[in-house]
Amino acid sequence: MFSTVLVANRGEIALRVARACRELGVRTVAVYSTADRDSAVVRFADESVHIGPPPSKSSYLSVPAIIEAAAQTGAQAIHPGYGFLSEDPDFAEICEAHGIVFIGPPAHVMQQLGDKAAARTLMAQAGLPVLPGSTGALVSAAEAADLAQQVGYPVILKAVAGGGGRGMAVVRSPDDLRLAYNETRAHARAVFGDDRLYLERFVDDARHIEVQVLCDTQGSTVHLGERDCSVQRRHQKLIEEAPAPRLPEGLREAMWAAAVRGAAAVGYVGAATFEFVVTPDHEFYLMEINCRLQVEHPVTELVTGIDIVREQITIAAGLPLSFRQDEIVTRGVAVECRVNAEDPDRDFAPAPGLLTDFTPPGGPFVRVDTHAYAGWLVGPDYDSLLAKAAVWAPDRPQALARMDRALGEFRVDGPGVRTTLGFLRRTLAHPHFQTARHTTGLVSRMSVEAAESAEAAEAAEAAESAAAAEGQVTAG
Amino acid sequence: MKPDLEQAERQENSALDAVCRSVAQLARSTPHPPLRIRMQDGQTTVEVEWPDRVRNGQRPADEPSPGDAHLDGPPLAEADELNYVRAPMVGTFYHAGSPDDQPYVAVGDVVLVGQAVGVVEAMKMMNTITAEAAGRVVEILTPNAHPVEYDQRLIALEPVDEDTVDRP
Repeated sequence: MFSTVLVANRGEIALRVARACRELGVRTVAVYSTADRDSAVVRFADESVHIGPPPSKSSYLSVPAIIEAAAQTGAQAIHPGYGFLSEDPDFAEICEAHGIVFIGPPAHVMQQLGDKAAARTLMAQAGLPVLPGSTGALVSAAEAADLAQQVGYPVILKAVAGGGGRGMAVVRSPDDLRLAYNETRAHARAVFGDDRLYLERFVDDARHIEVQVLCDTQGSTVHLGERDCSVQRRHQKLIEEAPAPRLPEGLREAMWAAAVRGAAAVGYVGAATFEFVVTPDHEFYLMEINCRLQVEHPVTELVTGIDIVREQITIAAGLPLSFRQDEIVTRGVAVECRVNAEDPDRDFAPAPGLLTDFTPPGGPFVRVDTHAYAGWLVGPDYDSLLAKAAVWAPDRPQALARMDRALGEFRVDGPGVRTTLGFLRRTLAHPHFQTARHTTGLVSRMSVEAAESAEAAEAAEAAESAAAAEGQVTAG
Repeated sequence: MKPDLEQAERQENSALDAVCRSVAQLARSTPHPPLRIRMQDGQTTVEVEWPDRVRNGQRPADEPSPGDAHLDGPPLAEADELNYVRAPMVGTFYHAGSPDDQPYVAVGDVVLVGQAVGVVEAMKMMNTITAEAAGRVVEILTPNAHPVEYDQRLIALEPVDEDTVDRP
């Protein structure tokens, strides 16, 4: 086992990883930008290194700063968390070249799977179902148009180097294709430094279900069941749960088997997530493979009792998995809500600021992963994730009631600070979510419903005042 | 009030006055005035807090110059704020360009804006560090070949009037 691990991330996930290290008896090193000098992980870690100014590209994305920090503190391994350098094969390779273990898959595997167009082809060869679409990166808008015609609209354009729900656009008619192609390309170039795109059929009213796998260096691959992450807004997940509710007989097992087959086919090592789209007819197709820890990993941990971060670290240290597939048992239902510092009334615009009150919920079977505290300044430099509230219960109705209770307890306040707490409770209460009949379209449906009910209320009010005016006239 | 108590208090007051005078004198006699002086009547406690860097012949740049008004002393030239050359990245700080070279600067040297004052090595890349303000080197705060973090103070510079400096 390593004696020192450096956590190359910030926020709640840095603290999450540092906690796993502490429990393993491993010394932890935090790295921080100037904006995070008072962060929770800096307080928690055994040692910390100031790596740069607030902009990520000069701090959390600065490979030399992180490698130097690891060298200075004698770290034998680096855990990249999610985001930032977690899916950068060059970083993994540089770690290796400096004799530092990258806690994640080997660089060449990450390279293969990080190219989403190549991964599609690779996985299709391994026998996984993929949606009709590109076999490689698109070379022109004309090629995209031809391909879209073949597979049928709607289609989705995605960045080959994309991830985290960014760099994609749904196209519903041939007239919109060229513009979408150019815009998505420009976006991909700006965000990922790679403007290559691919295309596949887009499924409306689909569900997003993903399978967690773990692979050790001795060739063992297991899955930890699935998560349903269908509640999304603009491809950003908001609510996740495990297991996926209301799946027909056999579908779950087929997805597990596909994920394990895919991981084994590329010689995967570490934790990976196979993201699938499930159509209204219960067909499933692979969307992409994430070569890192997922934000929503806690729901899987709550139903399996397995600490995924701990497993990542022990796998990276060369230890075999401590359980076999038949020893992994899932119990009950876990739900997670992402509480963001965003204003739902202003189209989810970031609403950062100083937290004057921050009182997370507690009580039975509630887990809150957060780096925030009263007095913490939520800055404008990073993403708006404030906390992940997760609950466990023996069944789904109890889990939903518990989550509503927990969110109701959660107090966050500060000048200018707004959160998605109220929005999350409304989503949980939606009949489609309550009955597990929701799809990735739920959030847009909710905004349509909200607009309609506002209109209806306005109309009712207008009718009422008209009636009142009429009454007055009659009376007069 | 009883006469003996009155007398005792008078004596105590004069003792306190004497202490105050000595402290003020002491403060004026040193080039670096104390950050804070706390005196207590009764058990006659005197606490003096000196600036952090007095030992090194400097005072922290961030601290306001304290005490001048209260102590009624002349403003001290040394109370001018120091400038610091800071590490622009995580790495290893070197005083010289290579092990065989002379250090770029030594205490007492006057450096100009843009003058090389050291090197920070990060991932085998040598990054020359230059002064952003002219000044006289008061102290080299980080020893040669030591690890540095981002923004760490490397060299303390006392401001000088650039017009008076002979340009090479």
